[in-house]
Amino acid sequence: MSVGIIKTNRWFVSTTIFALLIVAILLSVGIALANGQADISIGEVYQILFYKLSNGLYGSIAGLSEANVNIVWFVRAPRVLLSIFVGMGLAISGAVMQAVVQNPLADPYILGISSGASLGATFAILVGFGGSALVLQLGLSFGAFVGAGLATILVLVLSSIGGRMTSTKLVLSGTIVSALCSSVSNLIVYLASNAEGMKTVAFWSMGSLASASWNKLTFIVLIVSIVTVFFLSQYRILNTLLLGDEVASTLGVKLTFYRRLYMILAALLTSIIVANSGMIGFVGLIIPHIVRGVSGSDHRLLMPMTALTGALFLIWADVIARATLHGVELPIGIITAIIGAPIFIYIIVKRQYNFGG
Amino acid sequence: MKLTVDALNLTIGDQQILKDISVQTQEGQFVGLIGSNGSGKSTLLKAIYKTLKPDSGEIHLGDMNILKSTEKKVAQQVSVVSQFNELSFDLTVEQMVLLGRTPHKSLLEQDTQADFDLVEQALEKTGLIRYKKRSYLSLSGGEKQRVVLARAITQEPRFMILDEPTNHLDIRYQLDILETVKALNIGILAALHNLEQAANYCDIIYALKDGQVIGCGTPETLLTESLIEEIYGVKCSIYHHPITGGLGFHYYFEKE
Repeated sequence: MSVGIIKTNRWFVSTTIFALLIVAILLSVGIALANGQADISIGEVYQILFYKLSNGLYGSIAGLSEANVNIVWFVRAPRVLLSIFVGMGLAISGAVMQAVVQNPLADPYILGISSGASLGATFAILVGFGGSALVLQLGLSFGAFVGAGLATILVLVLSSIGGRMTSTKLVLSGTIVSALCSSVSNLIVYLASNAEGMKTVAFWSMGSLASASWNKLTFIVLIVSIVTVFFLSQYRILNTLLLGDEVASTLGVKLTFYRRLYMILAALLTSIIVANSGMIGFVGLIIPHIVRGVSGSDHRLLMPMTALTGALFLIWADVIARATLHGVELPIGIITAIIGAPIFIYIIVKRQYNFGG
Repeated sequence: MKLTVDALNLTIGDQQILKDISVQTQEGQFVGLIGSNGSGKSTLLKAIYKTLKPDSGEIHLGDMNILKSTEKKVAQQVSVVSQFNELSFDLTVEQMVLLGRTPHKSLLEQDTQADFDLVEQALEKTGLIRYKKRSYLSLSGGEKQRVVLARAITQEPRFMILDEPTNHLDIRYQLDILETVKALNIGILAALHNLEQAANYCDIIYALKDGQVIGCGTPETLLTESLIEEIYGVKCSIYHHPITGGLGFHYYFEKE
């Protein structure tokens, strides 16, 4: 049994891995931007990127069709960028949840976020907050976000009943709240008997990055960046959380405070992502596992590697979602689950992998 | 460092576990706590290292008021060795021991060469140098317990609390742990089950029963046959070991 691959010459090996991940992400962005209905070469893609990113200072786009430039810059680029930040946020949120509840099977949705968001989205679509089509689109995100937030609060309150919050109580409360939210969602669906609306709810729940646009990106990029940077700085406390409640507190960590803070921030991160892109499963569960196999459980390496790997994973999941069927786009949640489930089975079956060891 | 526990009361649920307990240790003393299961030894220790909150009473270490200080301030002075726990995630022995530096670090402060030197010394003292890169979860119970001790030493404590640190260990590791702790030459408060070891290592022993102190003193004066019968409900004859001269205990049930 090994504790991650990186043991000797840590600095050199980990720097190399970070460099490789960043290069892989840059190359993948090019491939992802070139991929799609319109035939655009990777060379053209980088030409457009250089020109646009330097605000026209370097390179030129003379000789390229304006349509291609617009497709790359206004249609595909926001979407690829969204996939990077959604992947990063879900992976980071998963790694934090796993440390906080000291359970390697935790994922970003453990606090009932998924079912809460589904309930909120179902309510928004089938009952609605009233108003036009524009409000409907916003209402879906708003409903999902509020639902996720309320579910999280309910889980935190439930698990604090009767004194100290424990991991077991958290997981059980999450299960209860999920069951409750699903049944209310089902009730709404049953009573509404609105076929079109049900379809919208179903598609939303499978996840999609299709709604990406430059305007909507700012907010999610900002939130994911801030929360991710914050969690990267918390490696010391995250490490002590792995040792269990009592040991963490004898090492001087204010356990209750940090546990609550981390859960609320991770839940906020996940809720915003879910409200934006629907349910994208398995990313937050498997990415930290895969990374632990390389970095070990030390969060100083684990967190940044998880962020980059999550981004890389979701870029490719979205490429596959767009490329699998000609002319039709598959929901990305289906892709991540189809890739993720076998990987997870492999991780469990391969016995010498002992959750970070 | 002197530890003073003054008139401590502690209730868990509706049961009063500690009743007006007072304990005092002097500079550099190895002080033992003995008592049957459920007598309140662990609860008292937990109150001192701030995992349980007492209803009333005061705890001072040197001039620090423990109940009013932050976890971090306390952890800079006091380290705790209780029974090792299993983890869901694995770390290397070195990473585990390095975590002992946590209370001395501010956010984002890097680990320095001095920190790694302390880790090295602690691994040396506990005989774990060869295990530095090993996975914690792959170790045996005795080895895990020594890792926990090494972490506590790396914390550079001025006082150490031990909660039945030798449980489930074979004789070699039991003695290893107690010898290492004794050699630290700092104040120690330890809950112990084995009376021979308590008599051997402790300067002063406190005897607990039903959450109260029923006696304290040096091993020779405190440990009498009647006290042991009162605490554990067994008959006991105490003798001086013919070779070491230390206290020996023979336990038996009285035949009717």
